[in-house]
Order: sequence, then C-alpha cells, then structure tokens
Amino acid sequence: MTDADVTMDLHPMPAAGQVRDWAFPAPERGGLPTGLPVLRCERPGQQLVAVEICLDAALDAEPDGLDGIATIMVRALAQGTARHSAEEFAAELERCGATLQASADFLGARVSLEVPSSRLHRALGLLTEALAEPAFAATEIERLVRNRLDAIPIELANPGQRAAIQLAHELFPESARMSRPRQGTAETVSRIDAAAVRAFYEAHLRPVTATAVVVGDLSEIDLDAMLSDTLGRWAAESGAPALVPPVTARDDGRVVIVDRPGAVQTQMLIGRLGPDRHDPVWPALVLGTYCLGGTLTSRLDRVLREEKGYTYGVRAGTQVLHSPAPDDGIGEALLAISGSVDTAATRPALDDLRTVIRTLAADGLTDAERDMAVQNLVLVAPLRYETAAPVADTLADQVEQHLPDDFQAQLYGRLGETSTAEATAAVVTAWPEDRMITILVGDAAQIRGPVEDLGIGPVSVVAA
Amino acid sequence: MGNPAVNHTGAAGLTATEHRLANGLRLVLSEDHLTPVAAVCIWYDVGSRHEISGRTGLAHLFEHLMFQGSAQVTGNGHFELVQGAGGSLNGTTSFERTNYFETMPAHQLELALWLEADRMGTLLAALDDESLDNQRDVVKNERRQRYDNVPYGTAFERLIALAYPEGHPYHHTPIGSMTDLDAATLADARAFFRANYAPNNAVLAIVGDIDSQQTLAWADKYFGSIPAHDGKMPLRNAELPDIIGTEIRQVIREDVPARALMAAYRLPEDGTRECDAADLAVTVLGNGMSSRLYNRLVRHDRTAIAADFGVMRLAGTPSLGWMDVKASGGTEVPQIEAAVNEELARFSADGPSAEELERAQAQLEREWLDRFSTVAGRADELCRYAVLFGDPQLAFTAVSRALDITAAEVKAVAAARLRPDNRAVLVYEPTGSPEPAVTGQVDPDGADPDGADPDGAGENSAGEDGTRQ
Repeated sequence: MTDADVTMDLHPMPAAGQVRDWAFPAPERGGLPTGLPVLRCERPGQQLVAVEICLDAALDAEPDGLDGIATIMVRALAQGTARHSAEEFAAELERCGATLQASADFLGARVSLEVPSSRLHRALGLLTEALAEPAFAATEIERLVRNRLDAIPIELANPGQRAAIQLAHELFPESARMSRPRQGTAETVSRIDAAAVRAFYEAHLRPVTATAVVVGDLSEIDLDAMLSDTLGRWAAESGAPALVPPVTARDDGRVVIVDRPGAVQTQMLIGRLGPDRHDPVWPALVLGTYCLGGTLTSRLDRVLREEKGYTYGVRAGTQVLHSPAPDDGIGEALLAISGSVDTAATRPALDDLRTVIRTLAADGLTDAERDMAVQNLVLVAPLRYETAAPVADTLADQVEQHLPDDFQAQLYGRLGETSTAEATAAVVTAWPEDRMITILVGDAAQIRGPVEDLGIGPVSVVAA
Repeated sequence: MGNPAVNHTGAAGLTATEHRLANGLRLVLSEDHLTPVAAVCIWYDVGSRHEISGRTGLAHLFEHLMFQGSAQVTGNGHFELVQGAGGSLNGTTSFERTNYFETMPAHQLELALWLEADRMGTLLAALDDESLDNQRDVVKNERRQRYDNVPYGTAFERLIALAYPEGHPYHHTPIGSMTDLDAATLADARAFFRANYAPNNAVLAIVGDIDSQQTLAWADKYFGSIPAHDGKMPLRNAELPDIIGTEIRQVIREDVPARALMAAYRLPEDGTRECDAADLAVTVLGNGMSSRLYNRLVRHDRTAIAADFGVMRLAGTPSLGWMDVKASGGTEVPQIEAAVNEELARFSADGPSAEELERAQAQLEREWLDRFSTVAGRADELCRYAVLFGDPQLAFTAVSRALDITAAEVKAVAAARLRPDNRAVLVYEPTGSPEPAVTGQVDPDGADPDGADPDGAGENSAGEDGTRQ
C-alpha cells in the first residue's frame, strides 16, 4: 500500500447493530369441503400474491413408455378449458397481469400462479378452470408434443443439461424412472396423445391429494369466499396418495466424457446420492455443503476460481428427489458439484477439486468457516423471503416432501445448534473421494488422456 | 390511463429523499419498515460505452477487481464480510453503468456502507497484478461459459455489432473480446479507476428498514472524506439517425440445434414517451403466450418453437428491440420471415386492439411490481433514474407513464420503427446436417432441463449485466 493510494479518512470496521426480530412466516392450514388442503400466509405489503398448487402427479406415476406425459399434461392444463380456447386462456391470464407456470418432477407436479392481489379472484377462477375443466384438445396436445420434440435437441446442445441427463443415466438403474430424462425422450414423447393425457389427468389429479398454498398481502381480501367460489369448484373422486419406491444409485468412482469436439470449456458434473430433509443429518449437510461449494468464498471456488482462475464458478448443492413421509420409508437427494472450466484446465481443475475434498476429509472444517456459514444461512432468511413467491415455494416444497409446515422455521435453529464436527462429518461422508461419478461434457480428444492419467477411475466416452 | 392493478398515484406510498455530500456523491434514501432488511446500491456512471478501441471489456473486468480488496479489506474480504453478516451482494456491468449492491439484514447496514466507501476511496491500495491476472482468467471463463460454449451464445454480441456501427460506443458488448481482455494492464485498471470511480461520478441509494438521519450520518462519515476528482474522458458521440435506413443481414453457419431468425430494431431512447410506446408495441407483438408472434408462429403456423420480442432500453443512444425466433422442425427461415413481416406490417397499419393494449399494460405493470417488491429492486431503480435521467423520483412514476400511453402512440411508433429498413437481421443455419433433424427422429437419449440446480447455491459473483432479454 502506498500513501498516495489512500487519500480518505479511514475508520475502523463498524460493529453490527441490534438484530431485529424475524421469523419464517407460519402458515395457517385449512381446507375446502372438496378435500383440498389450503395453506395461507399473510405477508403485509406484498401486492404480488403467489399461489402454488401441489399435485400428486410425480414422474414415477407416468405409465411405462410414456415418459414426459406428466409434463405435457400439466402444461396442457393452461392450453384451453371448457370455457376458453388456448389462445383466450393465455389472453385472459395476461389481462390479469398474471404468470402461470407448470412443471412436473420426481416429487410431484406443480402449478404456480403470480398475480397482483387486486386481480387474484379472476386469476384463481382461471386456475380453477385449468385444474377442473381442461379441454385437452387433440390439436393442442399435438402442438405441445411437437414443441417438446423440437426442444429436445436444443436442450441436448446445452452442456449443463446434457451433463445432468448423463449423470442420471450413470447413477440410477435403467428400471428407475430417475435414470431417464424428466421430460421424456423423443421416442416416449412422440407416443403421447390427447387420450393418454386425459387418462393420466383423471388418474392423478384430485383435490384430496393436492394442496393449495396462497401467500401475499391478503388483508383486503376475503380469501375464504374467494376460494370457495374458485378452487372450491374443483371436485373429483377421492383417492390415496401415490407411494414412490426408494431408489438406489451406483457409486463406483468413474468418469464419463460426453464428447463435444472443439468445445472451449469442459462442463463438469459430479454426483452422488445422499439423504433427504427428514434425515437428522440434514442441517449438518446443508452447512458442510455450503462450506464446500455454496459460494465464491467456499473451499472449491477459493481455489478453482479465486486462486487459479479455471472457472467462473463451481457450486456444490443438494436436490431432493424422493421424500416419503417418515412412516413410508427413506428418501434420497442428489448431491452435485458442478461448474465449467476451460478445456486446458480440465485435468488440473479435477485434480485440485479432489485435493480440496481430500484436505477437507483430513483436516475438517474450521470453526470460523462453520460460524460464517451459519451466520449467512440464518441471517439471510429475511432477505431470501422478502417477497411472497419464495415463501410459497418453500411451503409447497415442504408439502411435496411430506415435511411439517414449520420445517424451514425450525431449520434455522437447528443450523445454529450444529457443530463444526457434525458439519465436517456430513460433508465428508457425502463426498468420499473414490466413490464419485464424474461427467465431463467437453472435447474428448483433448481431455481424455489427461483425465485418464489422473487415475480417478475408468474413463469412457459417449457421443453427445 | 389503462386499468391498473394498484393505485399508482403518489407512487403507492413510496417516497425517497435526495441528498448530496460535499464531494459530490449523490444519495437517495427510501424508508420501508416491512421487513428488517436494507439495500445498498451504488451506480457508477461508467459502462462499456466509455471503453476505447483495444480495451473492450475493461469496465466489466474492473468490476471484478472491485471485489479483490481495498485498503482495509483483504482478499475476498468484501464477499466474506457481507455473506458472514447474512447479506447478499454482487456487481454488474452494462453499456451505460456499473452497479454494486449489498442487501443486508437491517442491523448490518453500516458494514455495507463502510465496505463500499473503502473500495471507492482506496481500491488502488490493494490492486495488484496477481488479482488482475486471476480475474482476467475468471472473466475469460465467464465469457466462454455464457457466450462461446453455448449454442447461439454470441448472437447478442453479433446483433449489437450489426445494429450499432463500427466505432460507435455501443458497437461492442460489456463482456469484451478475448484479445482485449488479454491486453488489459494494471496501468489500464489504475487509470480506469482514477477516471471513473469518483464520488462525484456515483449515486448511492439506500432502501429499506433504515433510519434516514442515522443513515445520512453514516454515509457522510464513511464517504464524506473521499476526494472528488474529475478525470473522466468525454463520451464519444452516440447519436444515430432514428432509422438505420437499410436492412443489414448476416447469415451464420454454426453447429446449432435449430435454425433461428433474430433481428434488432432501432427504437427510441429510454426516457421518452416513444420508448414506452415502443415497449408496449413489442410486448403486444412478442412478449408472453398471447402475443401476435406467438399466436401466429407457435400456435397457428407451427413454424417456430419460440418467438420472443423485447426491448433493451438505452438512455444514451437508440434503444434496441430484439426479436428471437427458433425454427420448428424443418421449417426454412424465409417462411418464418415472411410471416413476421406480415404481422409487423399489419400491426403498424392497425395498431393494438384495446384488449391487447390492456394486456400489455398489465404485464408491464406486473413486471414493475415485481421489481419494486424488493428493497434491492427499488434501490436499483432509484439509482437508474438518478444516473441516467438526473431524477430518482421518476422511478416511482415510471409505471404510470407506461399506463398513460395510448393505442395511437403505439401504432405510430410501430409504423415509424418496426420496418425492414430499420433492422439488423441475423440468421442461423445449422452446419450439422443439410436438413435439420426431422422431429421424432432426434437423438434417443432425450433431454431435460435438470441442470442440477441444488438449493444453497449462492451468488455466482460479479457478473455482467443481464442486458440480454
């Protein structure tokens, strides 16, 4: 430092002020006469209301050979109803200033609505039409199928998506739905027609196995009256929730290269299976994973990005895939480390990554690291949940994962009670150095030899 | 006025106060006590438009260096201190400005101010070749990841280069070229800081659960002694005629999965009624699932997988309307282009229907509500209007102005601007096969949007601005 570079008055770093009270919002649980459970949560001042509908139509429920039908079905809900054509429906939603998104995954299907509170009533009416009276016109289903077929090659050309598909294929047995792409393959999608979509809808969409979550500024709204006039009109026969079998995964250490000749970067995706949120280890796993690769100052980026410059960022994280109620068995989550490195850095980056993991296993996390992770994860909550949508999303996640409604609220306290040793044990158990499956989407001609020389298990190459 | 979802008169209860320190730093404060969080946002009036030939990407590379420590903050301390305090942070660079922001639990506001002041005043005390070389590599990998290694990744860069002529300050994008990134020196970085990172070239907005008097006192304490300085290079002339005058066209043969038709239209500058009208025109044509292009190309003709049209607002030069259509199956581009031309011509002749205008205004209003629903979003908007238009209060009335636009104004701007002689066209033709794969016979391994996006993943750090659609 030179004096010439400091021309201002320097002050010592200020101390924190008094922490202001904040708690994760507690939802009120109720239900409609049709059996639809409703979670509501008042968030003063949030004029954009978020509505989540959790549907018991997970990918495991898809009939054999029709992978992708859950996604097509849930998207088709908004493509025309008994009262509106597909075009009119989209126009009516946009007239409300609303957005409606639909997706299907291993934990269930989801329809998400966001709308200014003054137009909630109208938008809930449209949402109800979509759920209760979808048209599933043959022409619309054909269009969705064709659109999906067009999208597949575009997704395959994206290195991150290509890596995720390959990882699922390598991890899970062929018989498991989880081994195959969420939205199906060209072969399975092209078999989907309107009759199959309607059959899937009738088999799986019913209020008693669904849940509605409504979050936002509801102070000016008679939500009960509004719901009874809208979602209350959705009725169907009763039915039991589907049970999804547990899944196993391979963990023999090896490398699969998805060949993209000429690629200037290698997309890395390293995966394993871990526990779901019901497991008592969860808070320790969250802390340990954050310390390993949650942010730019975590162990991986400290070396791979901020010391070596190999990457724009490498992240470690978890994604729950299966989460039955505790009486119905044990769940699983995908543990993943992902990032892109320039092609020439592929071998040194993998080498450094393993050194980071080995060092973590040998020396453990420091108390300072653990403390910082707790501080960040706990204190960031008021910010993360400032608006309605993330609150609704977390409440819906809890429903899908058969967790208590106060799971997230309790998690903050549990994170604070987790020791450095527990966080270390969780992350070290999660990432045994020699039992990781590594997917590399990149130029095989350039990276295969160097990666083989690393000696991290057999290396195979597949076409992109 | 349209049919608003909320009462925007009096800015829905939001207010902001303005202050100026003796060194020229402008402050904008806005109290909101709903949630115990406080957003700190600084806009420096410098972006890629200020860069000179041979040094493209310098503003963005420099933004990364702002996270590498200053006199009292070592290494990655800025990130560590903010995250350890429960805050979130980042910085972004666009054509017209560079911004930095920390959103903190309210009790840690003072820390964020101290950190921002330390780097505004003393960055050069810590800046060295090691940081520069490291962040140069990081930025080059950012460029590879976001542009060079993904299909269509360089489309935006190419369209910009077509739409703004050689030598124009907006001819290149903030990410810069690999050659120029390699060429940047420590001397360049130091000169860039001295020229642009002055209190009198910045606006600081603080929004949220704050005490304005106390916040003002802290701002004065930490920023007040940073000397004002003037060394900014004058902006190069960015004036352009309203209309390009002739269609510019480039065909790219690349290994992409589908044919694509993209176009950039020259539109009115931000801050004008005409720009708001153009935004509405483009929204009616190509934003959402009930737009004219979506209905025509995706629903009816089934020639396209997706059809999007959006506006990148620019204050210092004409804005850009960016259209992006990906072809379905074996559809050829001329077929799509003819339909697009027909739809644009029809719209320019007839203007929007009352229902279309209502929908477009409802969508813009929802987007505005979304931006304003967070303290960070509000702080950023206040900075934007202060830096680019000299008046932060304009942020609160932006949506009222958009709702005030008439169908006649939308029609007029469409007729004047959405013409073939006012666009740059970029066509993608895949190299893989002479004919794109026939649907139903594509790679059997399928696809999904997984991209393993696990929870707990934090910021991806100092990134380039999302100036793309």
